Amino acid sequence: MKKFKILYVDDEFINLELFEISLGIKYHVFTAHNGIAGLQVVEENPDIKVVISDMKMPIMNGLEFLRKLCTKHSEISCFLLTGYGLTPEINEAIREGLILDCMSKPFEMELIDKEIQRVLNK
Amino acid sequence: MTRNPYLSDTCHTLKPLVPIDTLYLIQWVKKILQEYLYLVKDKVVDMKFLKFEYKITIFYLLAGGLWILFSDKILLILINDRTVLSEFQTYKGWFYVVVTAIILYFFIRKHLNKRRDLERKLQEHQNHLEKIVKIRTVELESTIKHLKETQSHLVQSEKMASLGLLTAGVAHEINNPLNYIMGSYSGLKLVLKKQLDEDEKLNKLLKNLKIGVDKAAGIVKGLNQFSRDQESFDETCEIHSILDNCLVMLNSQLNGLIKIERDYAEALPPCIGNVGKLHQVFINILTNSIQAINTAGKIKISTKTINNSILIEIADTGCGISKEDLPKIFDPFFTTKDPGKGTGLGLAITYNIIKMHNGQLDFTSELTSGTNAKIILPIK
Ligand SMILES: Nc1ncnc2c1ncn2[C@@H]1O[C@H](COP(=O)(O)OP(=O)(O)O)[C@@H](O)[C@H]1O
Ligand SMILES: [Mg+2]
Repeated sequence: MKKFKILYVDDEFINLELFEISLGIKYHVFTAHNGIAGLQVVEENPDIKVVISDMKMPIMNGLEFLRKLCTKHSEISCFLLTGYGLTPEINEAIREGLILDCMSKPFEMELIDKEIQRVLNK
Repeated sequence: MTRNPYLSDTCHTLKPLVPIDTLYLIQWVKKILQEYLYLVKDKVVDMKFLKFEYKITIFYLLAGGLWILFSDKILLILINDRTVLSEFQTYKGWFYVVVTAIILYFFIRKHLNKRRDLERKLQEHQNHLEKIVKIRTVELESTIKHLKETQSHLVQSEKMASLGLLTAGVAHEINNPLNYIMGSYSGLKLVLKKQLDEDEKLNKLLKNLKIGVDKAAGIVKGLNQFSRDQESFDETCEIHSILDNCLVMLNSQLNGLIKIERDYAEALPPCIGNVGKLHQVFINILTNSIQAINTAGKIKISTKTINNSILIEIADTGCGISKEDLPKIFDPFFTTKDPGKGTGLGLAITYNIIKMHNGQLDFTSELTSGTNAKIILPIK
C-alpha cells in the first residue's frame, strides 16, 4: 500500500524529528523548517494531501505560509499548531476555511493522526 | 450781654425774638449741616446720603426747636381765654412727645426694616454660597476618588501587562520543551509497542511521564489564559474551568495545609465576558483567602445558577474582616497587610471588573470564623 504524503513545517528540528518518528510509520512525512522551504516541498511533491504548520516561525508565520500555499493548492487540507492559544486571527482563518483546525502545543501524535485520518477518509 | 460767636452782627443788634439758648441751638444745627454739606459737596446733596443718626438728630432738634419757638405763639393766636390756654399748655408737652414718638417710630422702623431686608438677603446669599461650596466639594471628592481609582487601575494594569508579557514568554518557552517530551512519549509508545504489552513497569513509567506532561501543559494553558490581553467582553467564559485554572496557578501557595472544597453546580451555563479579567477576579479573591488563613484551613468554592445569573461563593476559614474594615475593602490602596505582601489594589480591581460584567460582589465576614465572598454574574 502506498503511503499518503503529508508535510510538517516547524522551526524546531527536534519537533520535526519526533514527528517523523511517530507518524513516519503510517505516512510519508516531509518536513520543512520554514514557510519558504515548505512551499518548495509542495512544489516538488504536488500530491501532498495534508500540511501541518507551526504558527510561530521566522520569515513567515504559520498562517501567512498556509495562505500562500492555498492560493495555489486549494485542495490541500491544512492544520495549524500553536503554543499561544487561539487568537482572533486564527479564529478568522478557521471561519474562512483556510485551516480545518488549530491544535495547541504540546500536541499528541494520536490526535493529529486521527485528524489526518478523518481528512483522508473523506 | 455776652457776644454770641455764631451770630452775625446784625443779629446782635436786633432784639432777639427767642431766648438766646434756642438761637444757639439753631446755629449749632446749621453748623453741623454745613459741615456735613461741605463733606458731601461733590455729591448731590440729598437727605438720602445723610447717615441715619444724623437724620434722627436733625429731625429731633428741628421738631423740638420749632415746637418751642412756635407752639406758644400759635396757641396764643388760636386761644384767647387764659384758663383754657393754661390747660392747653399742660397738654402741649404730651402732644409733642406723642407725635414725635410716633414719627420717630415709623422712621426708625423703616430704617430697621431696610437693614433686616439686607440681612435676610445676605443670609440667603450666604446659604446659596454654602450650597455651591458643598456641591463643589462633592464634585471634587468624586473627582479625587475617580483619579485614585484610575491611578490604581494604571498601576495594576501596568503590573498585569508586565506580568502578562513575562508569563506569555515563559509559557511559550516551556511549551516547546513540553512538546519535545510529548513527541518523544508518542514515539516511545510506538517504538516500544511490543514490550509495552508485556512489561507492566514500562507501562507505568510511560503513563506517569504522560501525566506529568499533561499537568505542566495545563499550568501553561492557565497562565496563557490569565495573561492574554483581550479587551473585549464578549468571550464565552466557562466559570468552572476558570476557577480550576486559578487553583492550579495558586497550588504552590496552598502548602498542603489549606484544603480546597469544590461544590460545583452540574451543567453550569457559561457567561459572556472577558476570560482573562475573570481569571484576575478569582486569583485576587482566592489569594486573599489563602493569605487570611494562617496555618491550616479550608476554602470552599461553590457555584449555582439562580434566576438567569451565576452565583459563585468563595468561603474561607481565615482571620476574617473587622466591622470597621469591611466597608473599606474595595477602596484602592486599603490594605491591612505588610508592605510587599499587600497593595490594597486586589479588591478594588476585582470590584471594577465585576462591575464591567454587570455583576455583583458582596463580602460578609466574621472575625475569627472567616470570610464569604459572593460573586453574581449575569448569564446573558
Ligand atoms: N478573605 C479575606 N479574609 C480576611 N481579610 C480579607 C479577605 N479579603 C480581603 N480582606 C481584607 O481586605 C483588604 C484589601 O484586600 P485587597 O484589596 O485584596 O488588598 P491586599 O490583599 O493587597 O491587602 C486586605 O488587606 C484584608 O484586610
Ligand atoms: Mg489581595
